[in-house]
Amino acid sequence: MIRARRLAAIAAAMAILVGACGGAATTAPSPAPSAPPATDQASAAPSEAASASPAPSIDTTPVTITVWDYYGESTPVKPALAGFQKEYPWITVDYQALDWDSMNQKFTVGVSSGEAPDVATLDMTWIPTLAANGALEDLTAMSGGQLNGKPIADQYTKGALDAMTFGGTFVTMLFDFDTYALYYRADLLEKKGIAVPTTWDELRAAAKKLAESSKGSGKPDRYLYAIRPNTFHFSQFLFEDGGTILNADNSKAAFNSDAGVAAVDIQKAILDDGSGLYWPDANNDLTPAITSGQVAMFSDGPYYMGLLKTGVPAQAGKWKIALNPSVKQPGSYLGGTGLGIPVQAKHKDAAWLFIQYMLRPEQQVGVFTYAGAAPATTAALESPELTKADPYFGGQSPFKVFLDTMATSSHFPYVGAWSEIDTFITESLQSALLGKATAKAALDDAASQTDAALAK
Amino acid sequence: MKPRPLARGVTYAFLVAAALLMIAPFLWSISTSLKQPGDVFAYPPTLLPDPVTFQNYIDVFTKLTFGRYFLNSVIVTGSVVLLNVLFGTAAAYAFAKLRFPGRNAIFFLLLLTLMVPFQVNLIPLYKIMVELHKAIPAIGADTYFGIVAPGAIQVFGIFLMRQFLRAIPDEILESARMDGASELRILRSIVFPIALPGMATLAIFTFLGAWNDFLWPLIVTNSDEMRTMPVGLALLARKNASNWGDTMAGTVLTAAPLIVMFLILQRRFIEGLTAGSVKDVG
Amino acid sequence: MTWRRRFRGASAGYLLIAPALAATVLFLVIPMVISAYWSLTHYNGIKPPEFVGLQNYLDVLGNARFQKAFENTIAFVILGMGIGPALGLGSALLLDRALRLRGLFRSAFFLPTMTSLVVVATIWKFLYSDAGIINAVLGLFGLPGVNWLSDTTTALPAVVVTSIWQGFGFETVVFLAALQSIPRNYYEAASIDGAGRWAKFRWVTLPGLRPTILFVYVIGIIGSFQTYDQIFVMTNGGPIQATRTIVFDLVDRFNRLDLGGASAVAYILVVFLAVLSYVQLRIGEERD
Repeated sequence: MIRARRLAAIAAAMAILVGACGGAATTAPSPAPSAPPATDQASAAPSEAASASPAPSIDTTPVTITVWDYYGESTPVKPALAGFQKEYPWITVDYQALDWDSMNQKFTVGVSSGEAPDVATLDMTWIPTLAANGALEDLTAMSGGQLNGKPIADQYTKGALDAMTFGGTFVTMLFDFDTYALYYRADLLEKKGIAVPTTWDELRAAAKKLAESSKGSGKPDRYLYAIRPNTFHFSQFLFEDGGTILNADNSKAAFNSDAGVAAVDIQKAILDDGSGLYWPDANNDLTPAITSGQVAMFSDGPYYMGLLKTGVPAQAGKWKIALNPSVKQPGSYLGGTGLGIPVQAKHKDAAWLFIQYMLRPEQQVGVFTYAGAAPATTAALESPELTKADPYFGGQSPFKVFLDTMATSSHFPYVGAWSEIDTFITESLQSALLGKATAKAALDDAASQTDAALAK
Repeated sequence: MKPRPLARGVTYAFLVAAALLMIAPFLWSISTSLKQPGDVFAYPPTLLPDPVTFQNYIDVFTKLTFGRYFLNSVIVTGSVVLLNVLFGTAAAYAFAKLRFPGRNAIFFLLLLTLMVPFQVNLIPLYKIMVELHKAIPAIGADTYFGIVAPGAIQVFGIFLMRQFLRAIPDEILESARMDGASELRILRSIVFPIALPGMATLAIFTFLGAWNDFLWPLIVTNSDEMRTMPVGLALLARKNASNWGDTMAGTVLTAAPLIVMFLILQRRFIEGLTAGSVKDVG
Repeated sequence: MTWRRRFRGASAGYLLIAPALAATVLFLVIPMVISAYWSLTHYNGIKPPEFVGLQNYLDVLGNARFQKAFENTIAFVILGMGIGPALGLGSALLLDRALRLRGLFRSAFFLPTMTSLVVVATIWKFLYSDAGIINAVLGLFGLPGVNWLSDTTTALPAVVVTSIWQGFGFETVVFLAALQSIPRNYYEAASIDGAGRWAKFRWVTLPGLRPTILFVYVIGIIGSFQTYDQIFVMTNGGPIQATRTIVFDLVDRFNRLDLGGASAVAYILVVFLAVLSYVQLRIGEERD
């Protein structure tokens, strides 16, 4: 038929053209040799930045800075803009709201195309890739070690300072922190006479006693403990058993140790007991399962306090928070949100002024009052607003628990391959928890992939 | 050959089943958008919400500036359709009916671009937009120009129109040329009128693609005022994935304009689609 | 043709294609060339690119995750293009015999095609959710619910279903038009020769549909190979890489600032598609 022949002729010519084009694709000018990557030496963290030099005089020529914010409608950033404007009238803020998902993509496109904002809220798990690629401005140099007139080292816990450091220098300022604690239905534990678990065995036993079937008999489908196959939750158990993700010099995987296997096994055991609910990240947040009563215990960070209050108001007063049960020592991953300045930012000094403003106690308290999340500076964490009794949590002061967790939490390894390693670990967890492989086999597999990625 | 009654019954049964399968997800989506959060996953499931609530739609309009997104979508889509139909048809005419050195080679080069997934051009294209914006603030990144430009003249459209236009008898064009008409004049007074069904088809496909385009508008727009509806929907859907009522309201709002337009214009739509894509008069 | 007419055609030709060519060159060809160059470098967008020749291509082809993505994509294409057009053709054949309400059916079938992939994926993600309507209906029949999108065996087919669902109307309408353009006297001639229903289908209908089938397959396969939007909304490549596709791998590399690797993936896909389309069209032509 005519049409097919035409198409054939076109495609044949295309194939020839493609063949000709396939090889010679370099029409751009020859590249410059790549600059050496950002230094990754294990120099001492700049925690003793006690420089006494006075702050440089501020340039007041009118300038507009672009701020990208992923907090969404409960953002603590937007309400702070008016105050910032008043104090720094020559700085106009071009505020752009994105959501957490798109931020990653947009920020990556932005820095890799050379068109970046001046300040952005960045998830701490993105920091390793960005920092390793030299995308973030050196804040130690910019700040002279000072934040709002006082040494940075005095305003954060050691864990936080550690988390903000890459290659011996600050690459971000922690804005809100995320560590995990145990959320539990205090009313149910009390009703069933279960003590708050403090060890893994107690957790398993408590979960077993809590779980029940809504139909009276058969497989339990209510009051379960949420099992989440992701690196955040895995590292919780891993750290608590004294394990680490990578070895001391970040050259090889260490998560497939006995501690790692134990971390997976305890979760699998709870699942096999029938007292756990497998909840993958694709299901998004737990609120539907909590509302329906499917979940009565889970581990997560401070921002879940806000999620519970808005999403499950009916269960107010029934929940409490405690340190996560542990084996050898308390432990948790440390993440959260950092404020960062891309190296391509056009107005870095003004951007630094904005960051400092957002880290003042008044704005930091806003992190809690607006977003229900946990501010990162110690000053804010000790404010009365955050330490008062919370009726939703039965009169408890939940931040006290989270402050304790922060003291024993550690951030993920800051290596350029982190997002790949994160994926390897997550997949091995899914594999093991779904019963497709033993914990040891799955973790070993992830470990060998990790070693390969680190070797590159 | 007239189908026997039993065969007819079975035929209609299948068709009705297929039609229901196509429509059911939409109905369920609309139904969910009118439900209260507690009823969304109620068991057993009910199609008719009880009580009906418009809160989800109110939420969508208050949480996001959907009105502005709608306006942007209209402007962007309208521009893309107009540019494609005009310049695409003009170029297609040249490829179909005019002879000039390098014609086939250039056409093959254009076809080649269809094979490359858009994602790979994303960053270089964004860089180009950024540079344009620096040089001339009215165009480039974060402007209507920036959103419209990459899709302004699409190769698929040129390909489609070329097939249509090949059907035009050369004699008509020759006699017009003999009468002294310029090519532009021929294009305007002879080609466009004949090609109208094809241009309508092109308009509809381009409208579909431009209205639903998501990734590029997401990347090239920074400010909220420039975002289009699919970007707005995605922001909503990702944020509130557990608030399905809101999300479904968002999907209904995003899909509705197209569906309404389709239902009104469907005859012209389907005729245009089928008239050109299959018959090969050339 | 006189020199004058040829010349006139030429300058008018160039003039008419100028806007299209300029737009394509500036917004498609130049970015394509830049990415092709990047595919030969290690480049993260921040520091200058470092030329490495074909190293990226070797790395990508040898990478287990890319290979899995390639396998998944092939599975996608085979499932989607194996089932979709067949269903479309089937419903077109049925519609051809239906005399009443044809327009209504056509409209109903076409609705999903009108909606953006993001909308389609969002709706289906909702339908597939653990407490969603599909599992609810199964429950009404006493069947257990399935974790459609979080089970490694069902995730990929579940996403394929949404693609088939969306493309069904388009294929039906295209095939229907093709069916209706086959001259009726061909069928009559076949009847006179004593051909039965099946013979008519084989010797009149199918040959008449060949160009359309070819069109649907060429376009459909190119599109299927570039599956991304539904994956992004519904499964993010999971669970455990079960729905990871080639373009998903490409975007993943971008997000890790591996621009060179991402570009290499793209061009591997281009070459593969070009060869595949060429083969398809040759097969279509040979049967002529």
